[in-house]
Amino acid sequence: MTRIASSTAVQIRQLSYFFGQGDLRKQVLYDIDLDLPRGQIVIMTGPSGSGKTTLLTLIGALRTVQQGSLQVLDQEIVGLSRAALVTVRRNIGFIFQAHNLFESLTASQNVEMAVELLDRWGDKRQKAVQMLSQLGLADRVDYKPSALSGGQKQRVAIARALVNQPALVLADEPTAALDKQSGREVVTLMQELAKSQGKTILMVTHDNRILDVADRIITLVDGRLETDESLAS
Amino acid sequence: MVRFSQFVRRTPLAWFNLTYERRRLLTSLAGVAFSVLLMFIFRGFENALYDSQVQLLKLLNGDVVLISPLKNNMFVPEQIARQRLYQAQAYAGVEAAYPLYTTTAYWKNPETRRTRPLRVIAFNLSDPVLQLPGITESLRQLQMPWTALLDQRSRPEVGSGAAGTLTEVDEQQIKVVGSFELGTDFASGNGNVVMSDQNFLRYFGRLGPDEDSRDLSTIDLGLLKLAPDQAPDVLARTLSEALPKDVKVMTKAEFVEQELNYWRENTSIGFVFSLLAVMSFAVGIILVYQILYTDISDHWSEYATLKAMGYSNLYLLGVVIQEAVILAVMGFIPGCLVSAGLYKLTANATGLLMQMTQTRIINLFIATVLMCLISGAIAVRKVQTADPAEVFGL
Ligand SMILES: Nc1ncnc2c1ncn2[C@@H]1O[C@H](COP(=O)(O)OP(=O)(O)O)[C@@H](O)[C@H]1O
Ligand SMILES: [Mg+2]
Repeated sequence: MTRIASSTAVQIRQLSYFFGQGDLRKQVLYDIDLDLPRGQIVIMTGPSGSGKTTLLTLIGALRTVQQGSLQVLDQEIVGLSRAALVTVRRNIGFIFQAHNLFESLTASQNVEMAVELLDRWGDKRQKAVQMLSQLGLADRVDYKPSALSGGQKQRVAIARALVNQPALVLADEPTAALDKQSGREVVTLMQELAKSQGKTILMVTHDNRILDVADRIITLVDGRLETDESLAS
Repeated sequence: MVRFSQFVRRTPLAWFNLTYERRRLLTSLAGVAFSVLLMFIFRGFENALYDSQVQLLKLLNGDVVLISPLKNNMFVPEQIARQRLYQAQAYAGVEAAYPLYTTTAYWKNPETRRTRPLRVIAFNLSDPVLQLPGITESLRQLQMPWTALLDQRSRPEVGSGAAGTLTEVDEQQIKVVGSFELGTDFASGNGNVVMSDQNFLRYFGRLGPDEDSRDLSTIDLGLLKLAPDQAPDVLARTLSEALPKDVKVMTKAEFVEQELNYWRENTSIGFVFSLLAVMSFAVGIILVYQILYTDISDHWSEYATLKAMGYSNLYLLGVVIQEAVILAVMGFIPGCLVSAGLYKLTANATGLLMQMTQTRIINLFIATVLMCLISGAIAVRKVQTADPAEVFGL
């Protein structure tokens, strides 16, 4: 599939989302319009329960869009088959609040699980080790998660999300479980990688201390885009 | 298509997840092994039931069998005239004819002085009717009056049957001059005794007024040995039509089948054991389902992350199926070994024929894999449905 990349990584039009059925049906997203240009680092903030995670999982093709249009990396994902959605997900790096690493696998094996998705077998370990090294974990590649600190585990999770060089990275409060210093480290690493590889990053955070890495900050309140401000770098 | 090299190089997630917690793995394997054991035991009893019933029949040296039409199983004490056997012997293709006599007699345990019914098998010592080790060597000793051989695999309550033992059968003196190995079944109850037809006459020829005395002119079973080029079914058909209707002629295979059918159709024991085996299978499914479901729910968010990364449902199904197969194989081996030991114990204690043949092992192995696959298919259902975010509550 060859496609001429446009300058927009994500294009959202009139996106609404509802939870529940019948009387219990509850709207959590209202007519969202949003464009994320390629290469931009965008931070999304907003009170708890305002719909940030819901929006992120919609963009990540982990949830079926109900109303509106959603283009991710130049592909309209509304109405895509399950198999096509799987392919879309492979181009997105998703970082969750929890590291979600397999306890039974070493740091390297956890990252290799991502490389294997590309059918790359010969150099999968080399790629995993290289990615982990970039995140400062060169001496921890063969450790199991139980032997790593919280910050190290989250860095392994980031390595796993970034090792395939996805064009779009979605991160849902990646620093929430970390102390101040490791949170800062993790975000700085993400920023450096994004800048050097021209990635688009959409990161949800409540952490005021890391807002400075963003090119742009958007705020979601009660399911509506409230503010959208670009920062001069 | 997934190529083999990929399969080898792929991170063996199923294996790592299963073996990460040793304690849990051992418990899981013990569970699988236990349901394998239950299936082996119940199937074993069921098979023993049938195998034992026809064991003697299969050993009898003959191609065609003559019995009373009333004798639809070995339990029925109906005889035919020996004359019929000699009539049959005159037909072309018949090389030899052997009469066989059986009855039930009370054997006294020489130590406890208690009596137990045994099956007596008697024949002319010059006829090779039952060619078992122990019998063929003892023919000379059996010619002595008031002698017999005792089945070593008789129930232990029968008492010692070592050569030289003196005891009583139907309250008449008898000397054990050797032993052989056959084993018990429903018709023989506690075991078997082999003696000459002459001794059979001595013991059972002059019984009390309320019992049927036996003589050698009526036989319990006639055996025909055929020429190598004579088809048994053709000859059996010919004899059936030619001989009077007071005798039933069958090939040996038909005779064995008749006996099996009788026990299949007239007892519910086979059914009960099949049912128990099926229930063990079902218990195994539930057990393995629990194991696999626990693994999935313990790794809920990790599996969700795999889906978010772009792994398909098929891959997740594959992981669970691999775990199922690993459990099946690793649980089957100890289950099978322990069962083999229990078969030996059971055979020794009861005299039943507990046979663990290669076919039966393979069949139960397939059943075990199937059991685990069904569990895996049920366990993985929830991971398969709907959006990853919904399933895993991201
Ligand atoms: N699976 C769900 N079913 C029903 N309601 C949900 C579900 N997930 C989230 N919600 C509701 O949707 C709203 C938005 O949730 P979420 O997107 O998680 O907000 P945020 O990430 O901004 O805290 C909340 O009111 C939450 O209670
Ligand atoms: Mg959230």
